[in-house]
Amino acid sequence: MNKPDSFEEKLKRQKLRPVPAAWREEILTAAREAAKTETQPPAGNDSFIQYWKHRLSNLLWPHPVAWGGLAATWLVIFALNIASSDPAEPRMARDTSPPSPELRQLLREQEQMFAELISPLEKSAAVEPKRRGSQPRGAARPEWLNA
Amino acid sequence: MSSPIELEEVYDQHAQALFAYLLNLTRDGQDTRDALQELFIKLARQPDLLTQARDPRAFLIRLAHNAAIDLMRRRDARTRSHARFGAELISQFTPSADPDEQAFRLELANALGELPAQQRAVVHLKLWEGLTFEQIAEILEIPVNTGASRYRYGLDKLRSLLRPLYEEIK
Repeated sequence: MNKPDSFEEKLKRQKLRPVPAAWREEILTAAREAAKTETQPPAGNDSFIQYWKHRLSNLLWPHPVAWGGLAATWLVIFALNIASSDPAEPRMARDTSPPSPELRQLLREQEQMFAELISPLEKSAAVEPKRRGSQPRGAARPEWLNA
Repeated sequence: MSSPIELEEVYDQHAQALFAYLLNLTRDGQDTRDALQELFIKLARQPDLLTQARDPRAFLIRLAHNAAIDLMRRRDARTRSHARFGAELISQFTPSADPDEQAFRLELANALGELPAQQRAVVHLKLWEGLTFEQIAEILEIPVNTGASRYRYGLDKLRSLLRPLYEEIK
């Protein structure tokens, strides 16, 4: 680094403007206030609640209506869920005994009847594929193409 | 540093330097005040910050620098430039009774405004805080050579802008 020349020395000698006197109190007061609101210790039960109320309000402050709406929606969903659920249903499912031999026989007969009803349709569909027209493909061209 | 009295001590010891630096960097009285207040609020909320610092002045200047940069970015996003609204810039030098000196100070304040903020910061810390390039590099978190070259470019520009007046009043 070179030695400072006379120009640099002249610049260094320029006296800087002092900080406005009124700022001292304003800035220090603002700093103290900010520190107080930030780090209030929860001394008693009331102040503990106040502290958390303050923290929560800070957290939710940007969109209180949106947060309230979201909470209400969840409450409605929860209420509907409770209202629609049937407490007897799981018990019934658990208590269901295996079907009796008569019932099983009846179910088997129904299944057989159903199979008989369906089988002719399936057979005909398998044997007879979809038929095209009997004439050659070229003959099916529309009139205007032949014109 | 946790009691208000100590915060006052910090203010009394460092506010002048921080004010001058911020005013030179932001070139706006309101921004300077806001950045200074933001800095002291930070110190009040986190008293341990300063006690852990090796060099309190350097640490405070770094905090001030970061606060000013944040503030300038926010302001830029809102208003783009002061000139557009015709805002009057406050000089960082005390008025002088000597007309030549006063003219030089005004020209110097204007010339500093012509420098990019990065150069202005280095020039200020070197000339009016008397810091070494190593200290400046640490504060601004830049390489030492970068700090030295910014100073050299900045000083050359000031010299070219102020040469006519400087030669006249020398």
